[in-house]
Amino acid sequence: MLVYTMRRILGALPVLVLASILTFVMIDVTGDPLADIRMAQPPPTEEVLQQAEERLYLDRSMPERYWLWVTGIGGNGDIGLLQGEFGPSTQGPHYDIGAAIAERLWTTLRLVGAAMIFALGLAIITGVVSALRQYSKLDYTLTFVGFLALALPTFWFAGIMQAAGVKFNQLVGDQVFATIGDGRFRAEGAPLWDQFLNAFAHMALPTIVLMLISFASWSRYQRTSMLEVMNSDYVRLARAKGLRNHTVIRRHALRTALIPLTTVVAIGVAGVIDGAILTEVVFQWRGLGDFFITAVDNNDSFALMGWLLLSGTIVILANLVADLLYAVLDPRIRYE
Amino acid sequence: MTTEYENKEHTAVADTDDVVLEVSDLSVTFPSDDGPLPAVRQVSYKVRRGEALGIVGESGSGKSVTSMAIMGLLPRNARVEGSARLLGQEIIGLNDKQISEVRGQRIAMIFQDPLTSLNPVYTIGYQIAEAVLAHRKVGKKVAMARALELLEIVGIPSPEQRLRQYPHELSGGMRQRVVIAIAMANDPDVIIADEPTTALDVTVQAQVLDALQRAREETGAALVLITHDLGVVAGQVDRVGVMYAGRIVEMGSVEEVFYRPRMPYALGLLGSLPRLDGDRGDRLTPILGAPPSLRDLPGGCGFAPRCPMARERCHEEEPRLLLIENGPQEGEATAHTAACHFSEELVDAEASDLFRSTSVDTEGLGSVAEMEAAEAHVAEAREGYLGELGAEADREVAAKAEPEVLLTATDLVKHFPIRSKGLMRRRVGEVQAVSGISLDLRERETLALVGESGCGKSTTARLLLNLIKLTSGEVSYMGQPLQDLSDRRMRPLRKDLQLVFQDPFASLDPRMTVSDIIAEPMRIHGSGHRDARKRVSELLELVGLNPEHGSRYPHEFSGGQRQRIGVARALSLNPRVLVLDEPVSALDVSIQAGVINLLEDLQDELGLSYLFVSHDLSVVKHIADRVAVMYLGKMVETATTDQLFSAPAHPYTQALISAIPLPDPVKERTRERITVTGDIPSPANPPSGCRFRTRCPKFANELSDAERARCVEEPPELKDRGTGHRDACHYSKAIELI
Repeated sequence: MLVYTMRRILGALPVLVLASILTFVMIDVTGDPLADIRMAQPPPTEEVLQQAEERLYLDRSMPERYWLWVTGIGGNGDIGLLQGEFGPSTQGPHYDIGAAIAERLWTTLRLVGAAMIFALGLAIITGVVSALRQYSKLDYTLTFVGFLALALPTFWFAGIMQAAGVKFNQLVGDQVFATIGDGRFRAEGAPLWDQFLNAFAHMALPTIVLMLISFASWSRYQRTSMLEVMNSDYVRLARAKGLRNHTVIRRHALRTALIPLTTVVAIGVAGVIDGAILTEVVFQWRGLGDFFITAVDNNDSFALMGWLLLSGTIVILANLVADLLYAVLDPRIRYE
Repeated sequence: MTTEYENKEHTAVADTDDVVLEVSDLSVTFPSDDGPLPAVRQVSYKVRRGEALGIVGESGSGKSVTSMAIMGLLPRNARVEGSARLLGQEIIGLNDKQISEVRGQRIAMIFQDPLTSLNPVYTIGYQIAEAVLAHRKVGKKVAMARALELLEIVGIPSPEQRLRQYPHELSGGMRQRVVIAIAMANDPDVIIADEPTTALDVTVQAQVLDALQRAREETGAALVLITHDLGVVAGQVDRVGVMYAGRIVEMGSVEEVFYRPRMPYALGLLGSLPRLDGDRGDRLTPILGAPPSLRDLPGGCGFAPRCPMARERCHEEEPRLLLIENGPQEGEATAHTAACHFSEELVDAEASDLFRSTSVDTEGLGSVAEMEAAEAHVAEAREGYLGELGAEADREVAAKAEPEVLLTATDLVKHFPIRSKGLMRRRVGEVQAVSGISLDLRERETLALVGESGCGKSTTARLLLNLIKLTSGEVSYMGQPLQDLSDRRMRPLRKDLQLVFQDPFASLDPRMTVSDIIAEPMRIHGSGHRDARKRVSELLELVGLNPEHGSRYPHEFSGGQRQRIGVARALSLNPRVLVLDEPVSALDVSIQAGVINLLEDLQDELGLSYLFVSHDLSVVKHIADRVAVMYLGKMVETATTDQLFSAPAHPYTQALISAIPLPDPVKERTRERITVTGDIPSPANPPSGCRFRTRCPKFANELSDAERARCVEEPPELKDRGTGHRDACHYSKAIELI
């Protein structure tokens, strides 16, 4: 198991390096960070431009810039991922990309985490119920709901939910759902219960929006996987041993049917991060989604690179965790 | 005098107290879009304490469904009617709590595929202990101790270590023994074994049947053994029931049913079976037609459409399962019953009296008359075909001359690299699939390559056709070395060397019509496109199929018919050599017989040479002229079929022949056996010296230490023991086994 773990971790490292190169090159060749300044009226002086180029390290060659971005060696102390610096921003010398990401990371992770946990829980429950009651009315209903959820575009559904939240608040005459903002700083220092209510009010609707797509595909997956296991010989043998139905389902069917889901969920992390951008924009959260949009608007290369590498790292980490979890769940992998 | 066996009063009176399982009028119906499917119809039988009852039948006869119904393991939508009483308790229709107290405790079950019967994520020990804990209020320690004891009983070496292992670390034979251990965990009264050895190699099958026997002795359980293998039934059970189209059509003691069958189907099954104890010249007699679809069963006797004795009454009235006249009567444990209106006509009948040995595809035909017409048609077609080929003349010449050697292999070696799983994919070892095989195939001869799974026989066949690259050695066709030929230069030779695959379902492209499939080789070789259509219909006739069916797709044909299509495709280029890789092992016996007959006819008429790869020694004995036995990539013995089967010399060949169950109860129970222990070692790490020594009974029991040292150190050469009979054993001694 230790060897397996080490091998997986070592295997993730080159992927990470490759991801950083791809991220850098893709952002670096698209767009000019100084485009806005160049187009400004009146045109900036040569000196101003030169200063800006120097500050953003645009006076160096691309390989040099990559090396600088990663290591920070030869920079002005504001760059170098390995030193914890994300690089200078086009949004002014005082804008610290690292600090901005750190501030927003928790907001977004909270949303992504909650959405994934709820999506996973619901997907397992509905998948199992659907499989156990295959071709029943319940199964058909859940299948319909699943496909409906798959078909809803996130931004549109987010808008609908927001409108519905407003309507609901009007109906009950109280602000049950907060439809704008993440509300992180509103309840600071308040009693725990108030903090919870505040978090719930702000998070409920975005979480539902974000979880829906993953839930739909995962529950379909869990249903198939469960059906396959329920028809397997070892489930029949477990019954033939004289185990009660609920024991067979829990111990023999569900336990093995969960194994393939770990991979699917790990791959799904990227999709959830995508969805988070849209959801945050609609609900006007100051999260990483908003950070991303702002960075694009400002041609802020280093901010974009930082964001992309961070989400890439999260995806790689999620897959690493899934690989390790897989080994825990399935002895056939462990002893490979 | 005829007594009605189905009559309730009779069954109630007869032997009451020692019956452990009594099934009466059990029927199972599955709903489907096209209406209900009656999978099992009014099955009744009794099993007495300690008795072994066999249920035989071909696929789809309802034999597995019956036992699943008894265990309550059918899907929810199946409708089960009738009754099954276990020690007097009705077990059909129990709720989950009630049935779970019966299952595993009083009645246990063993399934067909040991590779999928155990849960991959739990240890062996856990899975056995779980069965104990399900019924006994004992601690985990006690349950584990019991698991250990059970593993010892079923003969698993180093059981303590095995307890902590996961299923994937055990071989198929071992896993089936674990399943047997689970079945016997709570000393059940009845064990149902559903094809327990079908997925296993023969030598392993013998070991698993032994374990099953020990489990019965240990628990005193009665056994219901479901199988399609008449040989296994002959050796293992006291009484046997034959199932056909969802019904039991004949039942009695094994001796009665095997020696004096009174239902044409049972007789037909026995006649269509190639036998290890039969003569090579005997023609097999396939049963006409195919089993009826459950969707639309014939009105009268289910077998009538295929029965050569069927008369009007048979088509109108379904015969009941009746005691046969002058047979052992009811009350005696050996009552012989048969469901045939004319069973008395079958006294002393032989299969060949009733069934014709034919090679035409009988599955689409409705009557004997139709078959005769088809045969005449095929004969005509073949004559025309041969005339065109001018093969007639060739044949005359060839018959006189010394048969020419077509294909020669010298010292074939094929190693497959094993690579590490890491990024580097380092080469960490190699599977020695074929290690020094030499053989030659002569004109119009059938050479059989036999051995168990993993012995390298299929790899050898592919090497001979130059389909995979040799590691070393030489293959030549008519004197021309093949191994160094480029694909382009190999292509013209491929016309002469064709291949028929094992799996008739996977080897035909489902999106092509049968005509296109058969014409494809001709298209590739740019020959015969002018009259390809004509040639395709000739070929279809040649293999006994209706040429009008050329426009159909493969899924419209049965397994046997598809295998015929595969043969037709292989023949389309007029090859001289056919490599047949397990061509009949996926087929039911009654279908298999027709394909074997076809292969024999084609060889006679077209002068083909066959390399016949098979694990089934009975089929090999029937069809081959010479046999080469392989074990772990080495050839251990080669001789003519007569020599090999009458006096096998290598201990492995002897064990292999011993392990094939004979479909003859008396012979099967009294024959001398050479048994081997353990599993085939990994070809990645074969034993030093003689590769068979780790399992060799001679090595284990007869040899002195000095003699053994030679087996360990010196790999035995293939040596001639006179008259071309060669074996690779330092201490070989021919013995007679059949």
